[in-house]
Amino acid sequence: MFGGSGTSLTLRDLTSEASANAELKQRLVENLGSAVQSCFRCLRCTSGCTSMKLLELKPHFIMNMAKLGLLEELLSSGTLWTCALCLKCKERCPQQSSPSDVIVSLRNVSFQRELSVPEGYLRVVSSILENGLIQQPAEVVSRDFEEFTRDSLGLPRMGNPGGVFAEILVELMSRGAG
Amino acid sequence: MRVSVYWGCMIPTAEYAYELSLRAALPRLGVEVADLDSFSCCGSPIASVDRSAANYLALRNIALGERSGSRTLLVPCNGCYLNLVDAYHHWRSDEKPRADVDQSLKKEGLSLKGTCELMHVIDFLHDRIGLEAIRRAVTRPLPGLRLLSHTGCHLLRPSSLLSVDDPEDPKKLDALVRTLGAETLTYPENLDCCGAGLLLSHPETAMALSAAKLKAIQALGIDGLVVSCPSCHTMYDAKQEAAGKTIGQVLSIPVMYYTQLLGLAMGLDQRALGLQLNKSPIDRLVENISLRRV
Repeated sequence: MFGGSGTSLTLRDLTSEASANAELKQRLVENLGSAVQSCFRCLRCTSGCTSMKLLELKPHFIMNMAKLGLLEELLSSGTLWTCALCLKCKERCPQQSSPSDVIVSLRNVSFQRELSVPEGYLRVVSSILENGLIQQPAEVVSRDFEEFTRDSLGLPRMGNPGGVFAEILVELMSRGAG
Repeated sequence: MRVSVYWGCMIPTAEYAYELSLRAALPRLGVEVADLDSFSCCGSPIASVDRSAANYLALRNIALGERSGSRTLLVPCNGCYLNLVDAYHHWRSDEKPRADVDQSLKKEGLSLKGTCELMHVIDFLHDRIGLEAIRRAVTRPLPGLRLLSHTGCHLLRPSSLLSVDDPEDPKKLDALVRTLGAETLTYPENLDCCGAGLLLSHPETAMALSAAKLKAIQALGIDGLVVSCPSCHTMYDAKQEAAGKTIGQVLSIPVMYYTQLLGLAMGLDQRALGLQLNKSPIDRLVENISLRRV
């Protein structure tokens, strides 16, 4: 159904009252190219989707919402974070319109707006900012419960990036949000 | 031949068996390993929160590779490999982001010229070292062993960026295993994802996905599963027992890195290959290989 006023027409989802976000859709198209538009819902992505069976992810549905510009609900729901990023949909799409790229792009928007980002990702970001890696070298245990570290295994010491490394990352991430 | 290795996060902080076995096996094939100074995460885990930061992380590590003076940067982790290749591709082809990145690199005292070739362990061994050279280095061949290989998603897809192997029918890891004298089997779940990509958001589902594939593999009665990615290895080896519990199944499948198997076939010491660190039940497989006549 069309609503709005004047010459600007807006799509509205009658069940959820959600309306299209044309600006965000435009940004998606700018980032990912016009292939976003060319999905004809053959469902090849969904039929081979790693997360379809257990998490009910339907990549073709995401593509359809993206085409219509109905992105607000996707952004605030957890659906975007059910993708395992196995990239089968990207490989197999006959239209070269990659659902996984759309999902990653919307995840970025979700982070910028501080919406529904799983805590695990935020932990990883702060670890990288702190010392460059997603985690610090761990003490591990063998099958016989013997403890080992990098040192005791004879592996070389590692250096941190240090310097302006974290500043550069923070600047890049705040630019995305701006 | 000298290659620099970009280890990424998982290998040098937890998956020590991969690092140990690669460092032990490559010199036997005439390859000298060089390390990178102050490397960081490849960016792959944060591509979901900020693509530009993920790209920067990838490119600064390639710049470190260039600075090390090696023409080849070996990337043993699938996730790192894809993110580095992806960012490198965009850096080469898009001028605007390239100028931004170059400016940031300069602040770190780095520069990128585009002279480094990125290779994963599978194509490095299969295409650069070659099956014949590997066959010559084998002193304890493995006939009679029936093994499966799992190449992993991020080494195969998208084929528009990656050309390591056939995205729907990968063959190189199988060929590498067969070069050691073992038999490989094809199986319908070959391309199924290990689930590691869901660990940060849906850990239980990640485990259930991993367990479903392992359950199917177990039914084939094979001697072991061979992998070459630290994420896949974590899912199938370290988390195997816990994964089984998510689907009410006792799983018992030996899982090994290809470099560990290669090291065993070249007669290397088990500890030097980090075999004590695998959590899956590999003892019988190791014993079977180690007792073979030299």
